Amino acid sequence: MSTDDESFHPLGNEWENELEEMLDDTEYDSDLGMEMAQDAMRVTKGELSEAEFHEMYHDDVMEEFGEDQRPTEAAYEEAQAAEEGTMSRMLSKFEGDGEEGRRDAMKKMGAGAAFVGLGAWGTVDDGEPEPQEQVAAAQEDDGGDGTQWGMTIDLERCDGCLTCVTACGNENNLDQGVNWMYVLEFEDSTPQTGRPNRLVRPCQHCTDAPCEKVCPTTARHTRDQDGLVLTDYDVCIGCRYCQVACPYGVNYFQWDEPDISTDQIEEYYTEEQGMDSDHMTTTYENGEERWVDSRAPRGTMSKCTMCPTRQDGEMGEDMVGTTACEQACPPGAIQFGDVNSDTSDASKYATNPSRGRALQWLSPPSESALEEDLDGADDDLESVLEAAGLDVEDLMLMKAVGITGESMGEGDGDMAATETDIQAALDVIEAHGLDLDDEDILDELGLGDGDADDAQVVLDQQYGSPESSFLLQEDMGTNPNITYFGHEPGPNAEQTEPTGTGVEYADLSYERADGEMVDMVDNRKEVLDEETVGDAGVSL
Amino acid sequence: MSTKTPSEGDIIRPIGSFSKQFIALFVACALVFGAFLVAWAYQLQQGMIVTGLSDWGSGGGATWGLYIGAFIWWVGIAHGGIILSAAVRLLGMDRYMPVARLAEMLTLAGLSAAGFYIIVHMGRPDRMVTSILGHYHITVNNSPLVWDVTVITAYFVLTATYLALTLRYDITRLRDQLPDLFEPIYKMMTLGYTEEEDEIVERMVWWLALAIIIMAPLLLHGGVIPWLFAVLPGMPAWFGAVQGPQFLTIALTSAISGVIIVAYAFRRAYDWDHIMTDDVFRGLLLWLGFFCLLFLWLQLQQNVTGLFAAPVSTDVAQTATIGHPVYITAMVLVLGTLAYIFAQTIRPSLFTKPRAIVAALAVLTGTLLEKLIFVVEGFLHPEFEIYAATPGEYFPSAIEWLSLAGTIGMVVLFFLVVAKIVPVVELHAIEHLRGDHGHGEDTEHATEQEVKA
Ligand code: SF4
Repeated sequence: MSTDDESFHPLGNEWENELEEMLDDTEYDSDLGMEMAQDAMRVTKGELSEAEFHEMYHDDVMEEFGEDQRPTEAAYEEAQAAEEGTMSRMLSKFEGDGEEGRRDAMKKMGAGAAFVGLGAWGTVDDGEPEPQEQVAAAQEDDGGDGTQWGMTIDLERCDGCLTCVTACGNENNLDQGVNWMYVLEFEDSTPQTGRPNRLVRPCQHCTDAPCEKVCPTTARHTRDQDGLVLTDYDVCIGCRYCQVACPYGVNYFQWDEPDISTDQIEEYYTEEQGMDSDHMTTTYENGEERWVDSRAPRGTMSKCTMCPTRQDGEMGEDMVGTTACEQACPPGAIQFGDVNSDTSDASKYATNPSRGRALQWLSPPSESALEEDLDGADDDLESVLEAAGLDVEDLMLMKAVGITGESMGEGDGDMAATETDIQAALDVIEAHGLDLDDEDILDELGLGDGDADDAQVVLDQQYGSPESSFLLQEDMGTNPNITYFGHEPGPNAEQTEPTGTGVEYADLSYERADGEMVDMVDNRKEVLDEETVGDAGVSL
Repeated sequence: MSTKTPSEGDIIRPIGSFSKQFIALFVACALVFGAFLVAWAYQLQQGMIVTGLSDWGSGGGATWGLYIGAFIWWVGIAHGGIILSAAVRLLGMDRYMPVARLAEMLTLAGLSAAGFYIIVHMGRPDRMVTSILGHYHITVNNSPLVWDVTVITAYFVLTATYLALTLRYDITRLRDQLPDLFEPIYKMMTLGYTEEEDEIVERMVWWLALAIIIMAPLLLHGGVIPWLFAVLPGMPAWFGAVQGPQFLTIALTSAISGVIIVAYAFRRAYDWDHIMTDDVFRGLLLWLGFFCLLFLWLQLQQNVTGLFAAPVSTDVAQTATIGHPVYITAMVLVLGTLAYIFAQTIRPSLFTKPRAIVAALAVLTGTLLEKLIFVVEGFLHPEFEIYAATPGEYFPSAIEWLSLAGTIGMVVLFFLVVAKIVPVVELHAIEHLRGDHGHGEDTEHATEQEVKA
């Protein structure tokens, strides 16, 4: 939220001027409005308390409008409740450069402040955008504040091998049928594309998680530090309301004693894996230690966690920004990362899926190997390709990736690493004397003029652009943090069996920390029914 | 109608006497309740896996089932009970005075059963206090479950106060005829009683009644209980504004039925046909008919809007509901009762008390079934109904069924115990009845004067 100009508003002078103009067009006092808007920003920066702010302006507002119902109050309160904390705790997030604040809180605060400067003066000239729209735009723009882990999942790349499902069970020591990660294949009423429709369904780690909202204990919570939606196993009372309120069906209750003890899990991670962490409790940025990872204890709720032990660096720095499922997925259909950062895998893939696919697919030669191969070879295209053992297509795609890359190599995900490798390879070739920006070479590579559009066409043709991009059940208002590419399941979508490459859940298994193999089960009820007292074998 | 005159002796009679039937019923109820406690202990030991529940989604089950269905049912009975009694006081429906206290007691018993269900339903009841109270200031802002617990507690306190206040009057006046065994209880209940307070209490009770009547639709069974479900867009079988009025009417039908049954039981056991007259039952039955009509009307609304041209998910859920044998049974039971009640108003000879009891039982069964299927249908047909390979299935386990018998046993026990300690019919009701029927009988009149003095 830093700006170069002198404007009080994070969106800068332009916004401020626009705001003033709009205020001038209304029947109300624009000076008061601007003054309030400035102080509202001070509130968000923590220089002024909300109470002081309210105190300062209450009378003026009453005089001007005859009522004082500024939406900030509601926005603050909402944010406050969502943050499980006090106003001051929340505002402290906005000190310094504001980078640390949780995105959600920031959005609400930003929106609230913007409303003060704007929203209360409902009448706006025709032709001007509606205030709400502008606030919405403000919200969009201030992305990039704080970490929000999330995923981009390319369903058209998923081949239904269920490796992610087993990897999750293995990492988290889940009981049979507790498929935190779940993959299903479905038929829909829309015409078949020839490709099977699949859905990869982890928890969506919603920004407006209904499960968190309804929880009577705060056990289900969103972490301030990175937006993960987790369950505190020490607090949960097992009312299951979170599972009821979740529109996706991602929760798994621990109906009985888990099959593996906490001691066994701890022993495995600390002794066999030599980790400092037991993969169950993790230390939050605010110093709290909470039991939120691995399988749940009896009588509490569990679901996909997006691996907080990894994100908190307790499995080593290289595991930060990864999840078990993402790492296991052979075709690279799952991209995990900070969706607020433009350079994370998840964001890179989301902004350009065919390029993302290319980055999954391409394996550029290493810099040193390429240098060695090219040593002594001529510098015309044909000789370079031959010496490097590449075909035209490889080079074309590598160059296309280079052309379309806005932040080549930036970021710390796998995709950034591949970008770096590609750039290095392209640089070696250039250094060898082949000018890849030469019109003729570009032409020979099939890259047209070598501009981004041409390169994009090449990537789209090669890897296909996905049918659609969607958020799951978006109209539920949950603001999920998973972006999907592929076929969006419609209201008539129905799961079919088996999933994917003809593989059935029952055919697969995963290893648990105690060394036992757990056979996977699709329908957990089959497992649970064994312990039901007086199971009638019928259903309502 | 009886020619007997109601007297203090009548309402004192249950206290201190123990008939064989009483003991048999007490033992039977204690056994059933005890059996459930044992079953619950087993559930605590094994975990919730002993139920027929599972996760919805790839868990192929229903998250909530009979425990929650029965919870709503009991809360409904409870809320309706107090509304009935409040209406008697507020609207001066003196005719029902003899059953008002029973209705209040039914509220306390029903709320206890409902509260018990909350605990039975939880995976970790041991954390109830620390986890809920410890975070109350935060969760009360947005968790409908916390609203529920809050309002149920408030209602319990309100009703208990209400009952305690009105009991002071009776106990003071009847003290001589009450057994000394419970002296400490009576002492405590009448602590600091003075006759001047009667008027104040009367006014307080009136205000309490008003609070109850206002809170019922806004907060209680027309509010937070349906909001547990109605606010969730993920479950089309639940989502929507109709649930408030629907829950409230179901509560009132259940409660009137409950009061009919309890009143009939007391009337039979203690020969109170001159106190709880046929007239009272006819009146209650008519009210029952009225609320049955509202119940069916709101069901009709849901079916028409859910089936005519509804969004896919709503249509699927409503189609499944309307074709479900449990739902159909519930509707037939309520419709049948309604038909009977209308018939007996046209032709009074059709009225008999056993028939009234059958009608009440039919409605209570109907509302229980409706609640059960309502809760379960939400999970079987969610908005995101993609999990066709793991379709939702649920049937209550033996332990869940036993909970139903257990809580009924618990509520009956409550009445059996309370009836041995305090009068379950208000002294005011007797005084009032005598005012109506006791003219010309000097002795009775004299006693009444004495009491009033
Ligand atoms: S089951 Fe646990 S986490 Fe879920 S709503 Fe209840 S207390 Fe909260």
